[in-house]
Amino acid sequence: MIERRDEELSKIYRDAEEPRPPQRVDDNILAASQRVAGNLRRPATFGFSRRWGTPVAVAATVLVTSTVALMVYELQSGSDAVAPQVPRGGRTAKVSPVEPRADQPRTPPPVVLQPIAPAPPISQALQSERAEQRPGESAASTASAGARQPAFAPEAPRASDVLSKREEVKPAPATAPPAAASERARATQQAPAPDALPASDVQQPIRPAQAPAAAPGASRLRETGLPLQGAGAVTSRLAAPEANERTPEKWLADIRKLKTEGKATDAERELAEFKKRYPDYILPEDLR
Amino acid sequence: MRSMRGEASDEELMLRYGRGDARAFELLYSRHRLPLYRFLLRQLGNAESAEELFQDLWMRVVNSRGRYQPRAKFTSWVYAIAHNRLMDFYRANGRASFLSHEESESVLEDLPAAEIAADLRLDRKRAVKRLLAALGELPDAQREAFLLQQESEMSIDEIAAATGVGPETAKSRLRYAVAKLRARLGKES
Repeated sequence: MIERRDEELSKIYRDAEEPRPPQRVDDNILAASQRVAGNLRRPATFGFSRRWGTPVAVAATVLVTSTVALMVYELQSGSDAVAPQVPRGGRTAKVSPVEPRADQPRTPPPVVLQPIAPAPPISQALQSERAEQRPGESAASTASAGARQPAFAPEAPRASDVLSKREEVKPAPATAPPAAASERARATQQAPAPDALPASDVQQPIRPAQAPAAAPGASRLRETGLPLQGAGAVTSRLAAPEANERTPEKWLADIRKLKTEGKATDAERELAEFKKRYPDYILPEDLR
Repeated sequence: MRSMRGEASDEELMLRYGRGDARAFELLYSRHRLPLYRFLLRQLGNAESAEELFQDLWMRVVNSRGRYQPRAKFTSWVYAIAHNRLMDFYRANGRASFLSHEESESVLEDLPAAEIAADLRLDRKRAVKRLLAALGELPDAQREAFLLQQESEMSIDEIAAATGVGPETAKSRLRYAVAKLRARLGKES
């Protein structure tokens, strides 16, 4: 749409004096425009750093923060553990055997807790009990213990530390610690194959903390002469009280006995009871 | 027009400035500095406010360098910015008349085409003085339409686009302004 200008009015308008913006306003505007243009002309590297500086800084911050958080978390989780960690090389071999059964509630792998409960008097009692067992089995068990024990030897001091704390609460016989120490020392000197270690054999000498209480029960059980390998009902009826009174080693020996006598069903039942009672206990290889 | 004369167009200069050519902005500024300032000064009637808006307007041009797209003439774009700044100013100062004043074309047809007085044709200084006084008495929208036509040489459509109204409204405003100015210049002969 074109509207013709009123030329007469336009001439009069153009005759008017021309107001100009003040010099300072001109200067301000031109200075601002040059400042901006100067920024635009900066080298490409400046532009690159300006463009990517913030994202890179944010990414680096996130990375460092997450790394530190992970490290702190790992440190905390490591220090939260009551017992020392099993060396990595032997860890899987010790943990994996305890496979959860369908009828058994899952428990977290208690591997780290296993080596921390040595009870020297019980180990001595156990050895004497083993001596009462069948000679072949006892010999094999002892031999394997002798061969495998060194794998746990490095852990022993820390376990004994924990144990000594426990013993402050539960006083143990005065002769116990030197006996355990000497036994561990002997095992360390033998030390042939560090990786083939069934945890139970190693733990047997240093294991149950509740042994002082259980030991009399076990002996009483032996005195009564009740047949552990009897009928299933009797066995299961006996299992609960036995579990309270027997030491784990004795119980395992009984299970082993059942197995060798061909009573696999009873042995399995006993084993299940045992696992319920001692979910953290790492079974010897022959009973897994 | 300028391109035809071998000069860079306003749009080209603005694009060059967007790429960092400060000289392009200086050229652009020198072309539009006086018309824009006059437009603002005569529209507002106040030098201080005109300077403030003028500087603000050019700062907006500077800051828009990266986003500028030559979809329309640079003149239309920059006067649209000026119009928007004026609207803000009117709102801030309670001058709502600018927004409410609309003319009807039926009334427009009845306006007489007054002749400018003969003595004013001879006395240019008096004519200018009277024109500027009459301009100041016009409604804001009509004055703006007249000033846009005088200062920017924009067409009715461009004035309509810059002021955000339809072409008919822009045309109406312009006709009203011219008729009133002529009437003022023809009265006291």
